[in-house]
Amino acid sequence: MKGLHIQGLSHSYGDNKVLDNAGLIVPAGELVCMLGPSGCGKSTLLRLAAGLEKVQHGKIIIDDVTVGSADVHLPPEKRHIGLMFQDYALFPHLNVIDNVTFGLLDMAPDKARLLAMDMLTQVGMAAQSDKFPHMLSGGQQQRVALARALAPEPKLLLLDEPFSGLDTNLRETIREETLSVLKNSGVATLMVTHDPEEAMFMADRIKIIGANGHILQAGRPHEIYYHPTHEFVARLFGMMNRFEGVAADGQVETPLGAVATDLADGTPAEVLIRPEGVILGTSDNNQGTTVEVTSSHLMGHDNIVRVRLGNGEGEDLHVRVHHTFEAELKESFSCRLDHEYAFVFPLDAESEYTNTELMDAPTSEEISAAGE
Amino acid sequence: MTATTTAKMADGANRVSLSWFNGWTIGTVLVAMIAVLPIAAVVYISMTPSDDIWQHLVDTVLGLYISTTLYLMIGVGLGTLVIGVSTAWLVSMCRFPGKRIFEWALLLPMAMPAYVIAYLYTDILEYAGPVQAMLRDIFGWTTKREYWFPEIRSLGGAISMLTLVLYPYVYLLSRAAFMEQSVCVLEASRVLGRGPVRSFFSVALPLARPSIIIGISLVLMETLNDFGTVDFFAVSTFTLGIYDVWLNMNNVAGAAQLALVLLAFVSVLVLSERFARRKKKFHHTTTTYRALPGYLLQGRAKTLAILACALPVLFGFVLPAGVLASYSVIHFDVAMNTDFLDHAFNSLMLSSLAAGLAVAIGIFMAYGVRLRNERLLKVMVRLASLGYAIPGAVLAVGVLVTLGTIDNGIDGFMRQTFNISTGLLLSGTIAAVTFGYLVRFLALSFGSIEASLGKITPSMDGAARSLGHGAFSTLQKVHLPMIRGAILTASMMVFVDCMKELPLTVILRPFNFHTLATFVHQYASDEQLGEASLAALSIVGFGILPVIILSLAISRSRPGHEQGDEA
Repeated sequence: MKGLHIQGLSHSYGDNKVLDNAGLIVPAGELVCMLGPSGCGKSTLLRLAAGLEKVQHGKIIIDDVTVGSADVHLPPEKRHIGLMFQDYALFPHLNVIDNVTFGLLDMAPDKARLLAMDMLTQVGMAAQSDKFPHMLSGGQQQRVALARALAPEPKLLLLDEPFSGLDTNLRETIREETLSVLKNSGVATLMVTHDPEEAMFMADRIKIIGANGHILQAGRPHEIYYHPTHEFVARLFGMMNRFEGVAADGQVETPLGAVATDLADGTPAEVLIRPEGVILGTSDNNQGTTVEVTSSHLMGHDNIVRVRLGNGEGEDLHVRVHHTFEAELKESFSCRLDHEYAFVFPLDAESEYTNTELMDAPTSEEISAAGE
Repeated sequence: MTATTTAKMADGANRVSLSWFNGWTIGTVLVAMIAVLPIAAVVYISMTPSDDIWQHLVDTVLGLYISTTLYLMIGVGLGTLVIGVSTAWLVSMCRFPGKRIFEWALLLPMAMPAYVIAYLYTDILEYAGPVQAMLRDIFGWTTKREYWFPEIRSLGGAISMLTLVLYPYVYLLSRAAFMEQSVCVLEASRVLGRGPVRSFFSVALPLARPSIIIGISLVLMETLNDFGTVDFFAVSTFTLGIYDVWLNMNNVAGAAQLALVLLAFVSVLVLSERFARRKKKFHHTTTTYRALPGYLLQGRAKTLAILACALPVLFGFVLPAGVLASYSVIHFDVAMNTDFLDHAFNSLMLSSLAAGLAVAIGIFMAYGVRLRNERLLKVMVRLASLGYAIPGAVLAVGVLVTLGTIDNGIDGFMRQTFNISTGLLLSGTIAAVTFGYLVRFLALSFGSIEASLGKITPSMDGAARSLGHGAFSTLQKVHLPMIRGAILTASMMVFVDCMKELPLTVILRPFNFHTLATFVHQYASDEQLGEASLAALSIVGFGILPVIILSLAISRSRPGHEQGDEA
């Protein structure tokens, strides 16, 4: 198949095992995002794919050619991959155009220049082609780095936290531009990030990594958000309201109502509810639980309201409501649950997930995509 | 199916050995081993039984060598500590007239080889010199017995000479440390109720301690290395002892055994330097840089500060350089007649050769370590850079023994196979001197190139490699252009140190071959300072080059340090 295929990769630095039997597929034309906390081994996986580290156990295959395994090591310069660093790593002694032509080794100089200018036009940097990296802003450097990585038409593009060096406003613009350039080029792309929002925005498919490079969940952004299979995944997108209970008759009781579950009866469970899953209504109709407002903060396009359960038990709940919603302190509301945003996990989550299959077996969808 | 076939072919074609053997690694290990050879030879020879000179040395001179060397080290250590730290603190923290000039002028004595000022001060201060003559005139004394005057050719004299030219090491390092310190910690100390002086002793000095220890260690290494001064003053240190036992008693094993004892002193210094460097990493405080306090000095404090900074510069550089310059003018024709140009050519050629090689090898080793960050490689590189700590006299013994063994091996082989005697091919040649310089100064070039490479983020390598450039092409196209400055600095430092180098050159040079340094040594020890003055002045002139570069570097090193000049 075209694209990147990683099988059973394990890697240690001394006694420190950073990857344990990790697997991954990035089909041609797709953007796959590895999302995980720092130190989870995602950068190591990127370095291994690029050939900057040697494989200890496992296999890396690019476009059907094994480029790295315990006894094969194709040096990075022979792999035809693009790599974009967190700090962009533009060569400070070369100007923009020379940076971009740096990878066009087998091309006649004037032809390379034309191609590089074309790339620079795509990322909107053609006017700056004579400038040196230190004269560019962070956003401009990022664009040049992208052009440089894409110019040799790599089989695979690796992005290491590509937007972390940019400030919030710029990040959103550059993200959109980068995505459109990548989609135009149709290159298989593997990106690592620790920013869930970034992953949701960029990725066709997200792999969420826990410790040791174990993939906790893989899927399209929609699945990750609405059907998290792991407590850690559910918590990635901000604060959650949490209740503990015990599964009985296929559901777990919470003060806001029962939530359905597959867990066997008698299993201790926790219920996580997103703030947007708690719906406030007028307290007159006497439906649902009564709550009292303890604080309200306008966050921009919505409000975060803290409410206390009518019986005064437990911690305050966080509720996300539209910004036009106005709540007085101590005001009472009725409160019900939107089941789309409520998830049940077994309380003893550790044992549950170390028993899952470590290899991220390709889904049927991925296999059919690869065959195309 | 075609896909699998190509995959298999590619697998076979790209299979590379994953063991650590590759060009860079083998090369680096090889270079390191060659650099370690002379030191290993000293250790080996000293272990070989000889005609029991060791017992003789123990009975006669060993005690004297040890005590003299220790006194010399203590004296020079204390002297450079006091002068170096106090001047560094004054120009970093206070404002007084001339501070801007002292900042760089305090480095000038670095350009003076210790043996040169030893000859000059002897000339000035001895019985027949101008100072005593003037005193006799004033007080009407006629003979030496009528008054007391300190004897310059003594242990005290040697301590003074070495202190005067070596204190800049301590000054340089403690000044860098003071300037690195965040002014916030000093202000915190002031706010907590400690005055400037107490803040200095309780905050600034402890924070600078690792740097000061590094400076003192370097000073003491140079002290142990000194040959010219102690030889001329007849102060019986180990270095002189080695020379004496070897050349006058003609006993290599005895010299090697003395050298081994000297190496014990050296290893203490190397260890304390390494330890201090490691400790330095934990001594960084906040990163907020603001203008240093700049205490404005007035009245007596001002006068004292100016004196404290002016005297070392005056006696360490201005006076001797002035005397040297006037002698050069007076004796110009005599000096030119002594084959000055030949000696200058020899010096320039040897120093350029050594500097070029040292830089090339330094780049090779530093990049080798960067490519493969492996333990064996790091250990070998550390060993190869040991030379900077080994006194020239010891290295010379090692080089001679090493080259002698190689020469004899070749000679024996040629005689056996071709019945031709090749004699000594390497010993007593320019190659031998160059080899000695390389072993001694490799650390200098390697260190500055390694430091400069270390500042380049590894992403640069990754970017170049992933864009299709191999290891060598990446070095050529990315690293070398980026470290041009460091390469220039390194080659110049090695060049100047080779120009000044005396003990190695004296021992290893070909018969009747002179560099400026050996020429100065020979003539000046015969009290023919006039003939030697032009050569000595040339050495000092070249020595000023690194002083300029260092002072530029240090003033650039601290962001936001552009104040206090209006004092």
